[in-house]
Amino acid sequence: MSNEDNLSPHAQLSSHFFGDLLDSIIVDVASECHRIARLGLDRNLEEEEEEMRLSAQARLRVADPSNSSEANGKYIVDIFGQSHPSVASEIFECMNCSRSVMAGKFAPHLEKCMGKGRKARLKVTRSSTAAQNRNSRGSPASAYPPYSNSTSTSRLSNGSSSVAGEEYSNGVFEDP
Amino acid sequence: MSSAAKIGHHRINGQILPQPCPHLAEFRSRNGSKPFRALQECLRVKPPGGRAAIRRDPDEVPRCASCGDAARPRLYACVACAAVSCHTPPGPSHAAAHAALMPPGHEIAVDVDRAELFCCACRDQVYDRDFDAAVVLAQTSASKLGSNSSSSSPSSPSVIRFQHPENLRKRRRVDYRPWAPDLKERTLVVNGSVPLESSELSSDLPRGLRGLNNLGNTCFMNSVLQALLHTPPLRNYFLSDRHNRYFCQERNGVSNTNRRNGANSDANGKIRNCLACDMDDIYSAVFSGERTPYSPAKFLFSWWQHAANLASYEQQDAHEFFISMLDGIHEKVDKDRRKPQNPGNGDCCIAHRVFSGILRSDVMCMACGFTSTTYDPCIDISLDLEPNQGGYAKMASTKSGHPCNGEADCLSSRQNCGTSTLTGCLDRFTRPERLGSDQKFFCQQCQVRQESLKQMSIRKLPLVSCFHIKRFEHSSVRKMSRKVDRYLQFPISLDMAPYLSSSILRSRFGNRIFPFDGVEPDASNDLSSEFELFAVVTHTGKLDAGHYVTYLRLCNQWYKCDDAWITQVNENIVRAAQGYMMFYVQKMLYYKASEKQVAG
Repeated sequence: MSNEDNLSPHAQLSSHFFGDLLDSIIVDVASECHRIARLGLDRNLEEEEEEMRLSAQARLRVADPSNSSEANGKYIVDIFGQSHPSVASEIFECMNCSRSVMAGKFAPHLEKCMGKGRKARLKVTRSSTAAQNRNSRGSPASAYPPYSNSTSTSRLSNGSSSVAGEEYSNGVFEDP
Repeated sequence: MSSAAKIGHHRINGQILPQPCPHLAEFRSRNGSKPFRALQECLRVKPPGGRAAIRRDPDEVPRCASCGDAARPRLYACVACAAVSCHTPPGPSHAAAHAALMPPGHEIAVDVDRAELFCCACRDQVYDRDFDAAVVLAQTSASKLGSNSSSSSPSSPSVIRFQHPENLRKRRRVDYRPWAPDLKERTLVVNGSVPLESSELSSDLPRGLRGLNNLGNTCFMNSVLQALLHTPPLRNYFLSDRHNRYFCQERNGVSNTNRRNGANSDANGKIRNCLACDMDDIYSAVFSGERTPYSPAKFLFSWWQHAANLASYEQQDAHEFFISMLDGIHEKVDKDRRKPQNPGNGDCCIAHRVFSGILRSDVMCMACGFTSTTYDPCIDISLDLEPNQGGYAKMASTKSGHPCNGEADCLSSRQNCGTSTLTGCLDRFTRPERLGSDQKFFCQQCQVRQESLKQMSIRKLPLVSCFHIKRFEHSSVRKMSRKVDRYLQFPISLDMAPYLSSSILRSRFGNRIFPFDGVEPDASNDLSSEFELFAVVTHTGKLDAGHYVTYLRLCNQWYKCDDAWITQVNENIVRAAQGYMMFYVQKMLYYKASEKQVAG
């Protein structure tokens, strides 16, 4: 704090009030913390800090190139001693059309076989909303409202998994 | 400090009842709780939900009787004679002087600005349950309809009754008891089953560890399936044959001939779909002891029939699949029985029994303090990553995944660290949020739309908590989506107690000694908020060209499940991974699962 004698009376008064406010706030915090500690409500910060420390340490170890990194890629042997081709080669029968299919190509086969998928759907007339939804490739955790999870429940209650954000059934607000 | 203080204390609702100092004890035995209740008339609470202060009349300006100063940060009013004195260490304590000079009985005073009891002889803040109850009543009377904040005449302290969620039966807690089949049951098992073959090689490795073939961009499905296959209550349910495909087909009207033929179509030939039956098949296959990768083709087929709008050969979002799949199990099972639809108490299906919790939402009017409370079931919690914290965050993640040296030094001051944490996200999820002026809430007391404060908390924890980190940002304005790669620290052991409604409510009203939210005094409440991490679904790569991998914790060992490839990894790999969905199970259920499986 600067030497109060050098300040104008106005500044001295401001400084004085500020000091009082600051003291009051400090006592607020002290009183609250005293209560929390005395009533045993303090969070177990030691455990939380230990977890933080372990995670920071883990990141450093993983980033260190001299450490053997986790096995990546598809040319490794798994814990059972098996190795697998990059495209799954198991052959089985499609449950929709009974043809033999290779596992790694089953999904694209099934898409055509069931008449699903973009190529199949383009043949069918759809509403514009559905077309918009299909354009979001793999990015669907989109507009969740920031605090509420009732979108999840609203999906469950109406049974059809609509895209996130469309329904907001908290019952308190009108839709923004 | 904390551990020493906790020894030998009795906990109620997770909080200690501190022993009164001798002066407070003496005061209580002489006067009972009457003086504290009398103080209720002097309690002034500034809305909304503000702090309580002590004022004899609303315009009173308390002054120290000794020095006349009204600006002291600590002014105490004697409970016995209402004399106000200041206490300003290291300067003179007029409060202590008052206690010493007056006859015995004037030691207990109350902080006029904070409504905290103070023992002037011990020179320390003290606590009393009845006083706290009086303060809470004054603070919460504003939140109820039909009462004005200042002039209510409170009756004896009672539990604040909020709108309770329906069907929240209080289950009587039962201690864990190990079970083994008796002789008769053992005979039944032996006669009705065939032992699984297990080769020498894999006998040391946990059962149920088996790769899943990628059927074409289906890693999103494989990763979630791996997590669910090892979700203890879900695994136990299916492995205990609680969903029996024959009974299920019977209920679904699969004709007798078709059932005998193993087909799954009803009398009209229409294929009857049940995701739970298909799930059951996967459990059987994965726990059979066979170690070659399994192709969940039938499951994909069934799921596409259920989630028609997601059925395409494209990369999908694992979280969306998770929700969709649980919905499928709920729908199918729910149709079969005449069970209650309410997913809140989890009675409707196994998916909800395992994952469903209850969220509480409080919206408080900032003008009058009236609070509206609603409850919603939730099957998981989606969390925003904390927004970039300026310079610190940039330092902490210079290159992707490479932490700077500064981060290790930052550990001492968590707030400044710049690393996002799961607990930090949960703190933000449960903090009071000021709703914008465009989201004014209609206050039933004010009868107009008012600005309000919203706060979330967890009313009931699920058996298994799934946390979903919102790493995919979709901006309809900029017509683009992007993925947030920022590292999020997550613990292996997680205590959810600070996010419970009881804790949140308690801290909202100044952490007073009071049974909030009708929580029963139950010692085991502390236990049931402790969770253990058992599965992490991670995503690497770009938004539309990425890869999902699941890390599983079995018998305290971590395994990486990358489609067909199962490998063992060090815990460090998991801690350093980019978590997208984290699965935690209640510790009580976990400890059994972490024991090594005994063969035979």
